[in-house]
Amino acid sequence: MQSSLLWQAASIEIFIFIAACAVMLADLFLSISWRTRLHWAVIASLWVAAAASFAAVGNDPIVALHGFYVADGISNAVKGLILAAAAGSLMFSRHALRVNRIFNGDFLALVLFSVLGMLVIASAAHLLSLYLGLELMSLCLYALIAMRRENTSASEAAIKYFVLGALASGLLLYGISMLYGATGKLNIADIAYAIANLDETNTAIRAVLILGVVFTVTGMGFKLGAAPFHMWLPDVYQGAPAPVTLFIAAAPKIAALAMMLRVLPQALPLFVNDWQQMLMVLALMSLAVGNITAIAQTNLKRMLAYSAIAHSGFIVLGVLSGGGGAALFYVAAYALMTIGGFGVIVFLSIGGRERAELADMRGMAQRNWLVATTVAILMLSMAGVPPFVGFIAKLTVLESVISAGFIWLAVGAVLLSVVGAFYYLRIIRLMFFESAPASDNKAIVLRPSATLLLAAIAILVVWYGLFPGDLLTFFELAASTI
Amino acid sequence: MEFASVSLGHYLVVAALLFVIGVAGIFFNRKNILIVLMSIELMLLAVNLNFIAFSHYLGDIHGQVFVFFILTVAAAESAIGLAIIIGAFRAKKSINVDDWRAFHG
Amino acid sequence: MFEFESIVFYFFAFLTLSAALGVILVSNPIYAALFLVLAFVASAGIWLLLYAEFLAMVLVLVYVGAVMVLFLFVLMMLDINIDTLREGFWRYLPFAVIIAVLFAAEIILVLTNPKFTSVVGDASAALTDDNTRALGSVLYTEYLYPFELASVLLLVAIVAAVALTLRRRINTRYINPATQVQTKPTDRVRLVSVTKESPLQFSSPSNDKKGKTSCPD
Repeated sequence: MQSSLLWQAASIEIFIFIAACAVMLADLFLSISWRTRLHWAVIASLWVAAAASFAAVGNDPIVALHGFYVADGISNAVKGLILAAAAGSLMFSRHALRVNRIFNGDFLALVLFSVLGMLVIASAAHLLSLYLGLELMSLCLYALIAMRRENTSASEAAIKYFVLGALASGLLLYGISMLYGATGKLNIADIAYAIANLDETNTAIRAVLILGVVFTVTGMGFKLGAAPFHMWLPDVYQGAPAPVTLFIAAAPKIAALAMMLRVLPQALPLFVNDWQQMLMVLALMSLAVGNITAIAQTNLKRMLAYSAIAHSGFIVLGVLSGGGGAALFYVAAYALMTIGGFGVIVFLSIGGRERAELADMRGMAQRNWLVATTVAILMLSMAGVPPFVGFIAKLTVLESVISAGFIWLAVGAVLLSVVGAFYYLRIIRLMFFESAPASDNKAIVLRPSATLLLAAIAILVVWYGLFPGDLLTFFELAASTI
Repeated sequence: MEFASVSLGHYLVVAALLFVIGVAGIFFNRKNILIVLMSIELMLLAVNLNFIAFSHYLGDIHGQVFVFFILTVAAAESAIGLAIIIGAFRAKKSINVDDWRAFHG
Repeated sequence: MFEFESIVFYFFAFLTLSAALGVILVSNPIYAALFLVLAFVASAGIWLLLYAEFLAMVLVLVYVGAVMVLFLFVLMMLDINIDTLREGFWRYLPFAVIIAVLFAAEIILVLTNPKFTSVVGDASAALTDDNTRALGSVLYTEYLYPFELASVLLLVAIVAAVALTLRRRINTRYINPATQVQTKPTDRVRLVSVTKESPLQFSSPSNDKKGKTSCPD
């Protein structure tokens, strides 16, 4: 499938690349007082690009740049989500970046470059562009975590993320090399075509392909943070500065989902039984590890990290049941709730101290009712209680799992989610039914912008819980135009 | 597999052993972050050997182009890895992972 | 009878694998880095056997010549205490070796199945052309997009490395060339017109002893 150049198809990537370079140069020449304006300019360009991607969802699929790039429904929807998540996390983190002394052009440029890497993953039609996008994203994330240099826990988190990320890339590449060896192709569509035309009787080639699938799924499991490849995730989320955690918890998950949707159903449709079994193990283990370990946590960032592992179990369920639309909806809801959850931590960490312990939430209802209500809505939504968006997301994924014929899997997922509801409800109890310690019980006053953002998140979580119809049909449309 | 004349299988065995040595190196030397970085290089070297061997025997240049890009990425990766390690070393005056341990649980 | 090619292959393969074992088993990171250099050079030899001469040269020149030198720079710059780095190494070793051997055996069994290698490893289709020309002819045409992505990746590596390691020390003095160039003569030399002062008036009774006091010696 060698097509012509058609570079216009990649306009959004080119736009983000130019924005990243412009930010770097502008930061060099403009004075410090311009940084706030620069920050808003970056947010505005991300929103513009997000709107353009969402608008392109219904278009016919285009293969461009000599077969390395594809713009189809999935890629456009995923890109829109990534750009919106990045813009949202930057909106939440402006003040905290200044407190953490990473409010500079390097930070913004690295965020934009990692967004560029995620966009490349979303549009990868070839395993080489997939790999390069993955590395572009990951290298920027390692650097972002380590940027606050005097903070040793951030350096340690960066090293842990780096080592396990590089291990994951190595495993993924070894798997890709086997797919290449067995089929002689690297283009995703060509691999699927070559596998379909394989000699059925040659089990040796099948064995090599299955080994390749094992390595690829392992590598992607690491990147998504699904158990049993999750051990880096809690340390990284806790160790990174809160505004960086906010960014790495939301957008890269969406990119990891795009990677799974590209490689598994599109390149290896004939090995569906093999990768489905592996993904079932990943999904059930993630749900179990995430939900059960979260109970024992005393740090809010760590608790949200284990909750993220549990959520990635649901994302994997969406992929394995063939419900691309359900997985996209789930990841969108997850990104919204995660930005809200870490956003609260970012807003509460005023005055240099990070209020990320569970004990800090005690008596929050008296100290600031808006924060308490927003957190309560987010927790109920993450636990999957109706009528919030998290409930609808879990419901659509479970529907797609049941329609794929795995009723026992759906039952297991529901049971493990019920276990998870415990720790979400514990936070609500701390906030509403306990009083703050006398040493730290003054009312918390947020800046007006922070209040507005928290209210917006809460309203969105409720709104899409009550009226999910449009969004659901939108993602179904996106997943079907490939 | 014959031993007297070299075939595709020979190269794949060397690559597989190299890959396993690299993975094992990461788990053996968990405390010494610099050797972990070198073990990652060994893994990528194994992948490259796999690609070049397949590319040669399939008569297809694209595997070698992939190796070209892996080499580029690996260079960038080690530059950033070393930069992170330097930052951590300046903060803690040690590369022993045990001396850091900011986390529990 | 062994062919010449096989002898070369076994030599380089043995060298690569033993150097790789050296990397992960020695305690001193400097020795490990030097073993890694050996592993790279030996596998460049293997790559030459596979007619990948351009990549073999790149591996030696760029990898050994630049990346490993960077490694050694960092190793020597950091003052590393190697005594504590080895604690617990031998405790996990047997367990890890068993797993590694099983893992390797599984991969090797799958990959060396003659039904696989006979289909894929058909020597008649093998690539023996000018490797550099073949790479160049696709790299700048068909691989335009990955090539540009790789350039962005290198740019990111530069930005990140500078952002992570550049530090302004407070107690060092340095010169800012921009301000240095922009200085005007008036910033350095100030011409002052000094008003002529009237001679000193000594309102002293000992006006006649002035010579003695002004010249004490």
